Amino acid sequence: MDDDRLDDDRLDDLVRDAARQYNAPPETPKEEMWARVRAGRLSGARRRKGRRVVAPRYWVPWAAAAAAVLAAGIGLGRLSVGPEAPLPVVAERAAPQVNPTAYRLATLEHLGQSEAFLTLFRTSVVAGGNERLASATARQLLATNRLLLDSPAGEDRRARLLLQDLELILAEIAQLSLESREQDLQLIRDGIERGQMMPRLRTAVPAGPNSMQGAL
Amino acid sequence: MIGRVLAGDPSAERALYDAHVDRVFRLVYRMAGDLDRAQDYVQETFIRGFDRLGDFRGESALSTWLCSIAISITLNGLRKVRRFHEREADLDEGMQAGSPVREADPDLKVRLSRAIEALPEGYRTVFVMHDVEGYTHQEIADTLGVQPGTSKAQLFRARARLREALADFARD
Repeated sequence: MDDDRLDDDRLDDLVRDAARQYNAPPETPKEEMWARVRAGRLSGARRRKGRRVVAPRYWVPWAAAAAAVLAAGIGLGRLSVGPEAPLPVVAERAAPQVNPTAYRLATLEHLGQSEAFLTLFRTSVVAGGNERLASATARQLLATNRLLLDSPAGEDRRARLLLQDLELILAEIAQLSLESREQDLQLIRDGIERGQMMPRLRTAVPAGPNSMQGAL
Repeated sequence: MIGRVLAGDPSAERALYDAHVDRVFRLVYRMAGDLDRAQDYVQETFIRGFDRLGDFRGESALSTWLCSIAISITLNGLRKVRRFHEREADLDEGMQAGSPVREADPDLKVRLSRAIEALPEGYRTVFVMHDVEGYTHQEIADTLGVQPGTSKAQLFRARARLREALADFARD
């Protein structure tokens, strides 16, 4: 019992001492982070300003009109089908339908994966190694990215811009070559920083276990 | 200073940043363990903090409020990275099946780091804040939005887990 007590005490001391070295932070890169905070604030303000000007003038009346037409159509349809109406025997071929909810879910999932991928890319590949795995992953993400860009459901202008910028970066990573590695990496890093890719992805994807539900 | 920031005074923004960035960065880096990620999370903390400063009611210290934003961003970010790693690990496992790797016995620092990483998220957060960064239980409670008693209980359990994980080391 005394031995156990001694072990525990000794261990606590050891843990306390060693814990101070756990993920010991370097000096705070104040200026670098401040520049990024300023850039993020400016781009956020620009986006908000753009939203305020464009949204009420253009899409609200169109959306209201579309909703009104839809409601009228549903109403007329209900009125025209009486209680005795026979069931249709032959189903007509329907026009291709878009499901905005499914599209939004798929986009969020894709953007979340891309964010995690770019975060890892910046830490593991830039430090050395894993180029082939990174290129393969980038190609997979690129394929999904293209499908989302080509989808008729992709009407959100901001999401399209983000997907287009993301496509460029993913394409660069997919083509990363060992011969011109440093040059390619610099281009990719510049692309990520210049386009404020990480903050934009994080803003687009609400985090957390139920993020998809929350986003809707 | 908050009033000046809300009025759009850039020098006040910078002063607020200077006053809090070290504390936020230390905490975030301890949690993230990676410079790029830590910088990303700190950047996002201040962007969100400035955007929402109007919502700050002064019920806690501004530094506590900023740290709670930082913790939330960091934990969310780390969850995403972990999910991605898990998918990657599944792939690697499939490729490396049948080639067992024998690991060398690591020293206490490495063992402790691994044991801390393996703690449940809540235990790890409290352990890092209290035992590593020196926050009080009241500060932790304010930051995480829990009772001080919860913070104490989680710290107790975290230490017990670490003792258990490192028990053989003490006997050697």
